[in-house]
Amino acid sequence: MTIDPVVVHERLEAVFRRVFDDDSIVISNEMTADDVDDWDSLEHINLIIACEREFSVRFMTAEIAGLKNVGEFEAILRTKLEI
Amino acid sequence: MSSAATSFDTLKATARSADPWEILGPMRRILEGKDLDYSTARILFRIVRLARKTSRAQSKNAPGAPLRLAVLAGQTSAQLAWALDLYLTASGFECELYESPFGAWRQDILNPQSGLYDFAPNVLILAPGSDAAPPPAVGASEEEVAAAIERELSGWRELWRPLAQAAIQVVQDDFVLPSLRPLGSQERNISSSPSAFYSRLNQGLRDEARGHVNIHDLDHLASWVGKRQWFDERLYHHSKQACALEAIPVYASSLAALVGALRGRSRRCLILDLDNTLWGGVIGDDGLEAIRLGQGSPEGEAFAAFQRYALSLRARGVVLAVCSKNENATARRAFEDHPDMVLRLSDIAVFVANWKDKAHNIRSIARQLELGLDAMVFVDDNPAERELVRAELPEVAVPELPEDPADYAGAIDRLRYFEAAAFTDDDTRRADYYAGNAKRAQAREASASDLEGFLAGLEMVSKIREITPLDLSRSTQLINKTNQFNLTLQRMTIAEVQQVAGDPRYLARTVRLRDRLGDNGLISVVIGRIQEDTLRLELWLMSCRVLSRGVEEALFLHLWNEAKARGLERLRGVYIPGPRNALVQDHYQHLGFTECEPDSSDPQGAKCWEFRVAAEPPQLRTFIQEEHP
Repeated sequence: MTIDPVVVHERLEAVFRRVFDDDSIVISNEMTADDVDDWDSLEHINLIIACEREFSVRFMTAEIAGLKNVGEFEAILRTKLEI
Repeated sequence: MSSAATSFDTLKATARSADPWEILGPMRRILEGKDLDYSTARILFRIVRLARKTSRAQSKNAPGAPLRLAVLAGQTSAQLAWALDLYLTASGFECELYESPFGAWRQDILNPQSGLYDFAPNVLILAPGSDAAPPPAVGASEEEVAAAIERELSGWRELWRPLAQAAIQVVQDDFVLPSLRPLGSQERNISSSPSAFYSRLNQGLRDEARGHVNIHDLDHLASWVGKRQWFDERLYHHSKQACALEAIPVYASSLAALVGALRGRSRRCLILDLDNTLWGGVIGDDGLEAIRLGQGSPEGEAFAAFQRYALSLRARGVVLAVCSKNENATARRAFEDHPDMVLRLSDIAVFVANWKDKAHNIRSIARQLELGLDAMVFVDDNPAERELVRAELPEVAVPELPEDPADYAGAIDRLRYFEAAAFTDDDTRRADYYAGNAKRAQAREASASDLEGFLAGLEMVSKIREITPLDLSRSTQLINKTNQFNLTLQRMTIAEVQQVAGDPRYLARTVRLRDRLGDNGLISVVIGRIQEDTLRLELWLMSCRVLSRGVEEALFLHLWNEAKARGLERLRGVYIPGPRNALVQDHYQHLGFTECEPDSSDPQGAKCWEFRVAAEPPQLRTFIQEEHP
């Protein structure tokens, strides 16, 4: 059972909106922590945990700290979801 | 997910509305529902913050009892701190939080000028984490291990001392035994292993913790969650998280329950439905022989096990009551005649079986027990009854009950309604006090025309004395949970009580009362502050189980004598109106005090009363003989 990459993108956007409590967030590949208010190290973990729950995946230690932008985030997610 | 999202949107809208704290009811329901995941807890906390902002903008105070809480953690404390804020706010506290700077919790305690003492918390959560107590090397000798344990314990004694002096109540996590076991099955058999070390240290902490330090059983909680789920090594390496973030909600809820208990918020009465709650089937339809209970069916065994759980709660001081839609005689017959009933009629303080609505019956049970509705937990398998009681009596806790009776006990146990800050002798005997009260009520009815005869016939003997170390737990418990006969509603931590008890500027007394029908235990506390020529009665409260017995008159005579012996000129009492203490609004007038003007030392809204010691000794008739130590 594979998930449509578009659906992954939409669900990831919903996770961002929930975590940052901001329904106007539109995610893009180049988006980084600097582009979102409140995206500090604390919220970064909240984001990771929310994603793990939403997609039933587990990020590796290096991935948790190493994610540079949303595109990379989504790419790792797609790999983990095998799509 | 979508229905959950909608309910969060509704909550958010409420948090922005004119009554932002209307969020608390629905929020409590969510927190008591199924185990909360971390991200949902985070969303709920945001809503609390929003409500706080709204109510500040409206210059309104948050409802609930003010609580200043410090969180000192050896590892990252941010997530635990906000989650505690969430759970404590939902359970009716107006919280203010302090976190120690990362890695500096010891300095914060040891430096009297630190931010911690500036903040002046009522309660301090101390979550040291295993890093704070490195275990000895595996293979260390017995003497080395013992020395390491002693070093640790003396370190903790050092840390607890200044906190006791500052009258700060400490809730300290014990150490979680690691999930990795390099020594395999021998871990705990070898005294130098980390597991053996931490388990011995935990026991040592429990033995040493007295009064103002309460050890929170974090190792149990981690096991309950499952240690493989409890630990998250990735997050430990990433940002020194003590546990997996998904475990934060249950961690905070367990700590919040204990803090609530320390502040007198535990519930005290379990009200049980009968059909399909204590046994399977409907006794009125199926008959005594056909209900499923005890041996003969696995389901019957499950109901019997649930009854055993209720009985074990009774043994530790929870009052049991029955509220059932049944014919009274039919319902009672099960208790009298069914061989597999674990609960007996004598275990039930109030037994109500009729056809009236349950909200009405629960109100009447609360009245008969002289307990508040917020002390009640109502357990019923019928969702419609649960909904009705929730709607009519929002103060009563009504847990969701799973379909399977085998899961009943676990569903109630996990909600920690009956969390205790201490276990006193009084707790073991409480159920009997209530039985004694029922007998006294009958005696009173028999001689209703002659109250004095009834009181004289009780042969009451009081013992009025200082707050001794042995009385500290019970006195604090009474101070924090007495709502009706309580003149000032002043709450105190055990550390604060201890401080007052040893301070010559205060006159603190407890009253014990026994009578022909039994021992009532420690039932009243009074604390007066001596200021110049005046004894200012800052706290006066009494358990309602000895109402109208003349205890307050006897205690007043005692105080009058004490004041006279010390050459004081005045007794000064205050009454501060609260939600449930109208009972004592005329207390001082009744004792012969005259009303006077409040002064600057009186709390706001206080009504003040004065009694001149030089006046004639109060003419009060009591039927209580004071026993002198």
